[in-house]
Amino acid sequence: MTYKVIGKRVKRVEDPRLLTGGALFVGDVNLPNMLHAAFVRSDYAHARIISIDTSKAKEIPGVVGVYTAEDMGDAWEPGPPLVSPPPTLENVVFNSRRQVPLVKDKVKHAGEIIAVVVAESRYIAEDAVEEVYVDYEPLPAVVDLEKCLEPGSTLVHEDLDSNLAAHLIQNKGDYEAARQEADLVIKRRFNLDRGAAAAMENRGLVVDWDPKNQHLMVWDATQSPIPIRNGMAARLGLRTHQVRVVAPFVGGGFGPKIMMFYAEEMVLPWLTMKLERPVKWIEDRHENFYATTQEREQIQDVEMALSKDGRILGIKQKIIHDTGAFNPYGLTTPLNTQSHSMGSYDVKNYNSEVTVVFTNKTIVTPVRGAGRPQGIYVVERLLDIACKELALDPREVRRLNFIPPDAFPYDHKIIDQAFTSLVFDSGNYQPAYDLALEKLGYDNFIKEEQPRLRAEGKHVGIGIVPFIETTGVGPYEGARVAIEPSGKVSAATGVGTQGQSHMTSFAQIIAEELGVEVEDVSMVTGDTAEIHWGTGTFASRGAVVAGNAVLAAASDVRLKVIKLASKILETPEDELELDGGLVRVADIPEKSISLGELAVLANPFRGAVEPGTEPGLESTKYFGPEYGATAFGVHGMILEVDSETMMIKIRKYVTVEDCGTMLNPLVVEGQIHGGVSMGIGNCYYEKLHFDENAQLLNASLADYLIPSSMEMPHIEVYHQNTPAPNNKLGTKGVGEAGTIPVPAAFAQALENALPEYELEILETPLSPNRLFELIHKREELT
Amino acid sequence: MKVEGEHLFNGTQKQVWDLFRDTAVMASALPGTEKMELIEENKYEAVMNVRVGPVAGKFSGELVISNEDFPTSYTMTVDGRGKPGFLKGAGDVTLIEQGANQTLMKYTGDVQVGGKLAAVGQRLIDTVAKSIIGQAFETLDNALAERVNAETEGRKADYRKSTESDYAATVAKDLIKNVLKRTGRDKS
Amino acid sequence: MENTFNLSVTVNGKSYQQTIDPRTLLSDFLRNDLGLTGTHVGCEHGVCGACTVLLDGKSVRSCLLFAPQVHNQEVLTVEGLGTIDDLHPLQEAFREAHALQCGFCTPGILTTLVPYLEENPNPTEEEIREAISGNLCRCTGYQHIIDAVKLATEKTNT
Repeated sequence: MTYKVIGKRVKRVEDPRLLTGGALFVGDVNLPNMLHAAFVRSDYAHARIISIDTSKAKEIPGVVGVYTAEDMGDAWEPGPPLVSPPPTLENVVFNSRRQVPLVKDKVKHAGEIIAVVVAESRYIAEDAVEEVYVDYEPLPAVVDLEKCLEPGSTLVHEDLDSNLAAHLIQNKGDYEAARQEADLVIKRRFNLDRGAAAAMENRGLVVDWDPKNQHLMVWDATQSPIPIRNGMAARLGLRTHQVRVVAPFVGGGFGPKIMMFYAEEMVLPWLTMKLERPVKWIEDRHENFYATTQEREQIQDVEMALSKDGRILGIKQKIIHDTGAFNPYGLTTPLNTQSHSMGSYDVKNYNSEVTVVFTNKTIVTPVRGAGRPQGIYVVERLLDIACKELALDPREVRRLNFIPPDAFPYDHKIIDQAFTSLVFDSGNYQPAYDLALEKLGYDNFIKEEQPRLRAEGKHVGIGIVPFIETTGVGPYEGARVAIEPSGKVSAATGVGTQGQSHMTSFAQIIAEELGVEVEDVSMVTGDTAEIHWGTGTFASRGAVVAGNAVLAAASDVRLKVIKLASKILETPEDELELDGGLVRVADIPEKSISLGELAVLANPFRGAVEPGTEPGLESTKYFGPEYGATAFGVHGMILEVDSETMMIKIRKYVTVEDCGTMLNPLVVEGQIHGGVSMGIGNCYYEKLHFDENAQLLNASLADYLIPSSMEMPHIEVYHQNTPAPNNKLGTKGVGEAGTIPVPAAFAQALENALPEYELEILETPLSPNRLFELIHKREELT
Repeated sequence: MKVEGEHLFNGTQKQVWDLFRDTAVMASALPGTEKMELIEENKYEAVMNVRVGPVAGKFSGELVISNEDFPTSYTMTVDGRGKPGFLKGAGDVTLIEQGANQTLMKYTGDVQVGGKLAAVGQRLIDTVAKSIIGQAFETLDNALAERVNAETEGRKADYRKSTESDYAATVAKDLIKNVLKRTGRDKS
Repeated sequence: MENTFNLSVTVNGKSYQQTIDPRTLLSDFLRNDLGLTGTHVGCEHGVCGACTVLLDGKSVRSCLLFAPQVHNQEVLTVEGLGTIDDLHPLQEAFREAHALQCGFCTPGILTTLVPYLEENPNPTEEEIREAISGNLCRCTGYQHIIDAVKLATEKTNT
């Protein structure tokens, strides 16, 4: 299908406000009479609270109140289970334990909230936080993913008889039989460690209860305003129409801003209703490192059985997944790991056991990638090792194992995060892989460049891995599109925006369908007053699920426009076209009517409306896919290691992405760049260091290193288009794709750069220090 | 964090032992000590100002002496808490006679820190701990000399208290030393 | 207030006289007292660069300065660079090259680059990378920002 607006590199409509400091973020909301909250957080990761003394804090002038769990009375209840385990899976153990607004008896991770101070200014509130005295009985901290399951281990939740949060097994085929036939079985242990999402904007919340209007207004830096509205109403005993949640411009989300409910989101609404004054809280960076969710920590023991020609016969996997102190987000992340542990390959036999454990660390929920990088990492690493053992060309082994293009839709027959069977809707992997090899200059590098550079004493290596990404899962999203009497279009969807350019990409869909300019479409995202139903921005699903809902609503408005115009212009419907804000007769361009005029006529002030019709040129539609759309791609890099400092320089970075139809290639490329930068962080820079007391040792941006412009390479992005068959736009998600394969490609390149050490990289993130250690360990062995 | 080291004192085992058990001396030796009181046999209550890089604040806590084996060894445990976090540690101290007038003190222990102190001060904490210990030994050396002199001269010892600016200067010096070591400009 | 400071400062060409708490951070003063919320605060410890403003023409971190430190001086914030209808050439280039996504770090990057490009109007890619290395961006991987700077310098130099 050829489009006029969709697929074009359209400049973003949201930019002028963002560029001039005129865009509203939560932190910018200042209301008259507003109070400020600051939280007393536990320094201990695991401790019993003996007593809390707030008396000194309360005496500080300007302090309005200091509240603890006890003060909340009946309003105190844990957060809701955000995601339950899939009902489609049998024999799942799931011990649901959810975060609490204020700690009552026992602290379960550092940074949990003991008390909240409300004051006339944030400065005073923070002064008062220092004066709240909490007497703790420190307890040993649960940190280690394996030790925590040993009998006699300290328990995070003492009402459970172990630290087991969940357990499940997924199986297809018969791995043990496949193993019997194998020529080679490789078994390795992988350590995948924790990182932070570290959006540049921390979380924040402004709440304002209007007692006369009986209405709660909320500004929240959240990825999912509608569920927040629904949940707040339910918790506070209000009806949904009494609560309006606005997620204005949000300064990056990357997953953690979808967590519902954070303790602060439970405490602040209660405070504003109690005090009948607006209350504001903006998370500071230090809090963000403890209180905002994190991800990636897993230990995996994985076994791959292969034939001697390199065909994967089966994979057996044991995953221990750390969920931190609570598990509100269910099994989404480990299920994603399973969904990606067979990569882009036709694997007939798969057996995977997931054990989820509670520890005294910050809660784990999806962070950009959401379990997928861990899956791709283990499968690609094992293939690399197999290629070495079997002395096979890694390119040939991939070619041999790719799911062939005629095998789609390909049903993996395991359950994925959407609770449905893991079906890859479409794919065409080999051409993407070949394109990446070509653009990276693989052959030339191996044959000429690398030997030449090695002769110069340079440690250069190449790594290239294919990957898949399950995207665009349900349940559904909605959109409302309306033509206003001005002829301009107003539209809304429930997915919030944290930089994904929704206001432009979705406007392009509407502009395409209604023949208007992109600038004439005003897209509201993340305001519950504009649309009632929706879930949120996550799982790379905006372009797929919300995008197709926008298309459905715009198409419906188009039908209404044509129907009405046909009557007024006395022309058959099929002779009409929409262009330049007008409906006109195809052959007689001067015979036309503007959309604005039609909008007025569609909403008559007098006279009779035809029975069975609705006023206005407006429509609200929903889209819910049966199963997701599977994007895929290939990332490759050439890197150089400074063997003295262990610093890395990425000399070339190539990606080939196939996300089906692109709404706006400029935006797609931006998403890839950003994804890769987080992926590079996950390779070599970003690791949260917890000590044996579950104390985080690098809780600042000075110590936790997110890539700067100096660490980032120039990224070449190439596109392939295999449209998604199950949605009209043919879109697949791309928000997380950039992050997923990076550590796997990096590890391959690093091993390739340092052949003299015969390194086997089985962990991520690494760091210069860690690489130094690994090299020296190898040297000691030999 | 492991803390380990040794220091040679110019005094007899008994003199060093007594020095360490003198509350006033200990309070003067640790920079930033606001208060140190014996609250019961072998148990002290202390308030100390600590500064580790950007993290600063008052710690209060207890110091307990146990496993006493006069005059050769004892165990010291500390448990402190303050606005910047908490610290907890235990260490063994051994005094070994070295000839007639010298005593070698060996110490080994494990200190755990938490809160802002750990999260933000981590990169500096090793150096700062070493500086505090180094500073303390310097003060203790002086105190011991003064004590020994006073003993021979038959007068009351007069101790000079280590100030926070002494401590700050020591930390700065040690940090620079560390940086030089890391960049290879100081091979010492 | 017992302890106050009478601050005199020019911000974006407009002069202000305000009585403030002396410990007020410059970032908070700009955002809360003057309502210039385009200056964003991302880390409060001088690392991320989102709060960068120009103090007498030089880039500074407004989260690391107390407001009284800019007494009798001139501050320029992102609001002073251009307007929605009349974007600064660099702002225009940022839009053209899709150099911003969530836009939270963008004001600080603009206020870092404006004085830099005055001194070095024709930087190489490596120099641009160095110039913005003190500004963290989590969305763009910096590539489109570099493209935007090149675009802006090409336009000014032709």
